[in-house]
Amino acid sequence: MKNYRFILIYIVMVVVQVLLVNFFPLSRYLLVSVLPALILVLPVDTRAIPAMLVSFALGFAVDFFSNGMLGISSLALVPAGLVRGAVIDGVFGDELSSRGDELSVQRLGVPKMVLASLILCSVYFLVYIWADSAGTVPFWPAALRFALSVLVSTPVCVFTVRFFRP
Amino acid sequence: MARAGKFYLGLVTAVIFVLLEVAAVALLKRSSTLQNIWINRISHSVMATTWGSFTKVRNYFGLREQNEILAGRNYELFKELQHYKELEKSVQAMARLDSARLPSRFNYIPAEITAMGTNSRHNYIILDKGSEHGVKPQSAIITPNGVVGMIYAVDRRYSYGLSFLNEKVSVSARIGREGLVAPLSWDGQGSDRAILKDIPLHLTVAEGDTVRTSGISAVYPPDIPIGVTTGSRLIDGAVNVVDVKLFVDFASLRYVIIAENPDRTTIEKMER
Repeated sequence: MKNYRFILIYIVMVVVQVLLVNFFPLSRYLLVSVLPALILVLPVDTRAIPAMLVSFALGFAVDFFSNGMLGISSLALVPAGLVRGAVIDGVFGDELSSRGDELSVQRLGVPKMVLASLILCSVYFLVYIWADSAGTVPFWPAALRFALSVLVSTPVCVFTVRFFRP
Repeated sequence: MARAGKFYLGLVTAVIFVLLEVAAVALLKRSSTLQNIWINRISHSVMATTWGSFTKVRNYFGLREQNEILAGRNYELFKELQHYKELEKSVQAMARLDSARLPSRFNYIPAEITAMGTNSRHNYIILDKGSEHGVKPQSAIITPNGVVGMIYAVDRRYSYGLSFLNEKVSVSARIGREGLVAPLSWDGQGSDRAILKDIPLHLTVAEGDTVRTSGISAVYPPDIPIGVTTGSRLIDGAVNVVDVKLFVDFASLRYVIIAENPDRTTIEKMER
């Protein structure tokens, strides 16, 4: 039952992300994405390889159903899937995975969740903006876009994680 | 075992990461012209850097071969240089011969000393000219300043001679241009001294007279200055010997002239 709920919310969040991309283009300098959160909320014992495969598939699905460039989300999300395990161990400690517990904003605290989301968002947007700029955008505008996107997306991701793991 | 498993897991993870990223890049490349150009530029840059590095490494390991080629060229140039130097020396030697007015019935061949002994009582000399240069046994080895020795055996490219600093070598010498003729040989004492033997008691020899080759020989050209008399001594109460200081400095000798008498065989036959 729990799994069905998780999958259902997961699909809903993918749809939300597609809608965000297609119908709510906020600004040239701002990207909002919940995809790092969707990677973070995968079961804690998920290893790097499944996490990367899910990241690729997730990015592909979002790009496929949105007007974005096919492949760019996958390109940015796979590194996030790679570092996910290290981020969880580094931020929440090894006990979490060794005990078999799942993420919980209430139990682990908002600051730690913000930090984990911040790292994953940073990795995601770093690659995304770099690939999206394609060498045509100067450094500072790209840096501003990165900073704004991370600042806005991190709380959105924390909020998204609460849906999955209250 | 666990470490090996962890290593292989890490390796597989890295490979899958690269494959997924490559797949994503391939998708991105096909979906956007701008990204296509950008990715092409990056891939060209990466390829250029990679090939540049490979070329650098290949060039580095090819240095040995390059060095061998350069060493070979260096050797060829050195040989060429030596050839021209020898030609120049030959010309100079022939010019000296002309100035020394050596008799023309002899054939002269300039040569360089390859090896020479000076420390024993039977010293030898090896020259860099042999039969292919026209050198024949029983030829004289001279310089414009004196007698150096005599060719004893000839190889194709080298010749072996007996140095004047050899007790077996004797040269027919004359004191002054028209004076007494006597055999001159090394005294075995020093490389700059020789003695004129068999000087009759009734003849007195003044110090400072120049000793030359007499010409009464089928081997040595006449009138080659050999040395200067420094005094005479009575030996066994019967004969005098005259001490001669040689002109040739054997210690610094390097270039000589081989004098070959084409009529030597005929003269020797007549002597028999």
